[in-house]
Amino acid sequence: MTTYVLKTLWRHRTRTLLTVTGAAVAMFVFCFVGSVQEGLHRLTTGADADRSLIVFQESRFCPTSSRLPEDYSRKIKEVAGVREVMPIQVWTNNCRASLDIVVFQGADPEQIRRTRPLTLTEGDWQTFSSQRDAAIVGRNVAQRRGLKKGDQFSIGEISVNVTGIFESSVPSEENLIYTSLAFLQYTRGLDAAGLVTQHEVRLTDDADPDRVASEIDAVLRSGPVATRTRRKGAFQASTLSDLVDLIGFAHWLGYACVGLVLSLVATTTVMSVQDRIKEYAVLQTIGVRPLRAMRLVLAESTILCVAGGISGTLLALAALEIGGFAIGAEGATISFQPSLALAVTGTLVSVFVGLAAGIAPAVQAASVPIVNALRQA
Amino acid sequence: MALVELRGVCKSFRKGDETITPLDHIDLDIDAGEFVSLMGPSGTGKSTLLNLVSGIDRPDAGTITVAGTEVTKLSRSKLADWRAANLGYIFQTHNLIPVLTAYENVELPTLLLKLTSTERRQRVELALEAVGLSDRADHYPRQLSGGQEQRVGIARAIVAHPQVVVADEPTGSLDTETSEQVQTLLQRLNKELDITMLMVTHDSDVAAIASRQLVLDRGKFLEQSGTTPTRKAEGDEMIKQFG
Ligand SMILES: Nc1ncnc2c1ncn2[C@@H]1O[C@H](COP(=O)(O)OP(=O)(O)OP(=O)(O)O)[C@@H](O)[C@H]1O
Ligand SMILES: [Mg+2]
Repeated sequence: MTTYVLKTLWRHRTRTLLTVTGAAVAMFVFCFVGSVQEGLHRLTTGADADRSLIVFQESRFCPTSSRLPEDYSRKIKEVAGVREVMPIQVWTNNCRASLDIVVFQGADPEQIRRTRPLTLTEGDWQTFSSQRDAAIVGRNVAQRRGLKKGDQFSIGEISVNVTGIFESSVPSEENLIYTSLAFLQYTRGLDAAGLVTQHEVRLTDDADPDRVASEIDAVLRSGPVATRTRRKGAFQASTLSDLVDLIGFAHWLGYACVGLVLSLVATTTVMSVQDRIKEYAVLQTIGVRPLRAMRLVLAESTILCVAGGISGTLLALAALEIGGFAIGAEGATISFQPSLALAVTGTLVSVFVGLAAGIAPAVQAASVPIVNALRQA
Repeated sequence: MALVELRGVCKSFRKGDETITPLDHIDLDIDAGEFVSLMGPSGTGKSTLLNLVSGIDRPDAGTITVAGTEVTKLSRSKLADWRAANLGYIFQTHNLIPVLTAYENVELPTLLLKLTSTERRQRVELALEAVGLSDRADHYPRQLSGGQEQRVGIARAIVAHPQVVVADEPTGSLDTETSEQVQTLLQRLNKELDITMLMVTHDSDVAAIASRQLVLDRGKFLEQSGTTPTRKAEGDEMIKQFG
C-alpha cells in the first residue's frame, strides 16, 4: 500500500515537487522567524540575564551617551550582595537597529576571563592580555565578517588585532568583540579616560537582584552622575524595545507560514484525490476499508508536507549556522541560532500540518459513493 | 442452502420526479460451483444486481445471504472485510490502478488478508499464471493490450481465493478473439478452481458458456434457461431476443 502512495506521488512529480518546494520555503521562513523569537527569549532569560546587573547612566540609551566614572566600581562593590564589578566601555558602529552591528566591549582581560563563560577556539588568553590593541572576537561576528586569528580589523576609528575567537554559552555574547578597557577608553574620538559606559555586576548566590539594584542607585545618587541599575535581561530588553515589538509581531508571520503550508498541501491532496476518486471506489470494491482509504490519503499529504517541511527546516538551520545572523541596536544584540528545539518544532509542525491538510480529502476518499464513482467513465 | 441467496430484493432509483424500480422483489439461488450468466435489455438492473450481491450497493428491501453471511446487515467497513475475503469483482473496464504494475495490481487484495510474504507471492504468481500473464508481471497497465488488462483484472479478482466472483460484462470491450480467450479462462476458473460465478453479458454466445442462464426484464427473472431440459429451448429464444 505504501508503494501505491509513493507511486501516486511520483506519477504527478511536477505537482509533487512544486508542493514540496512551496512547503519548504514556508517552513524555512517559519524556522527563521522561530529562531529570532528564540534569540529574544534567550536574551531576557537564563542565569546571565537574571543574576547579573547592568549599571547605566540614568535616562541614557545609546552606549556612547552613557558616561560613568570608572571608580564607581569601588562604591558598587561595597553594596551587600555584590560579588564582583566589571567596568565596561562599549563602542558600537551603529546606535540604530541594524543587521550588521559591531559591538566592542572593553574590560580588564583577566576579569573577562574569570567572569564570562567564554571558550577560546582560536588564540590564547596570554596574548590577549599582553597586547594593547588585542581583541577576541565572538564566533558569530567572526563568521559574518570572515575574521580569523592574526587579522587586522578596522571599523570607524577603531583598529584591532584579532588574537582569538571565542564561543560563549550565552549566545548573544558571540556577537561581541572584547578588547582591554584602556584600549577603548583611549580610542580617538571617544575621549573616555577614567570613564566607562556601564558596570556589570555579578551577585552573590543569595542576593535579591532588584534589592541590590535599587541600593546601588541609592548609593551612587551622591556621585556626579546618577545611575539606573537593572537586571541584564531587563536592560537588554528595554534597550531593544523597538525591536522587541517588531519581533513580537513577526511571530504572526510564522503562523501565516503554517497556514500557507496547510492550504498548499490540502489543495494538492484534494486535487489528487478528486482526480482518482474512481480508484478509491475500486480499492473499496476490492475490500479496502474506508478507514484504510483514509489512511492512504493522510499518508500522501503527510509525506508531501514532511518532505517539504524537513527540507525547509534543515535549510533554515544550515543558513543560521553558516550565516551567524544577528540583529542589534544600541549595543545590545539578538543572535539567530539553529537549535534542537527549532528542528523538533519544524518537524512536528510539518507532521501535524500534513495530517490536518489530509483530513478533508481523506474523508472524501473514504466516503466515496462506490457505485456512482464506478459508473463514471 | 444455496451459496448465494436473494429473498424479496427490491431496488429503486429516483430520477427527479420519476422512480425507476429495476429490481422488484427478486428471489435467486446460486449453488456453490455454479456458473450463472445474466442477460437482459440495457437498463434492466443487471449491474445493480451484481452490486447488491457484492455489497457495494444496498437494497431497499429484502435480504442477500452469501456463504451464510447476511451481507445486507453488515456495516460499510465490515462489508469491505467481507469482500476482501469472499468476493472477486471483474469490471467491464478492468479498472486497474495505473501506477501499479500487473504484479502489484494482483497483489493488492492479498495485502488485505493475513498472509506471509511467501504465501502472498505464491498466490500472486499462481493467479498470474492462471491467466497466462506470468511474463507480463512487471508491465504497467498502459503497456498491456485490452485483453491482457482484462486478464490482469481477472487475476486480481481470484487471487484472494474468493467463494464468489461476479463479472459485469467482462468481454464487453474486447474483440471476438480476445473475448474467446477470456471466456475460456472464466470457464476454466469455474471448473478447475471451483469458483462460483455470476456473470452479466449482452452476448448470447458468451452466456452459453455458463451452466445456467438467466434473463432479467422489468424487475423480474423472465426465464431461467438450462435449469430443466424442457424449458431450455424457450429460454434460448429469450436470450436471442434480449441478448
Ligand atoms: N446510481 C443510480 N442513480 C440513478 N439511477 C440509476 C443508478 N444506478 C442505476 N440506475 C438506473 O437503474 C437502471 C438499472 O441500471 P443498471 O446499470 O443496473 O442496468 P444494466 O442492466 O446493467 O444495464 P446495461 O446493460 O446497460 O449495463 C437504469 O435505468 C439506470 O439508469
Ligand atoms: Mg450494466
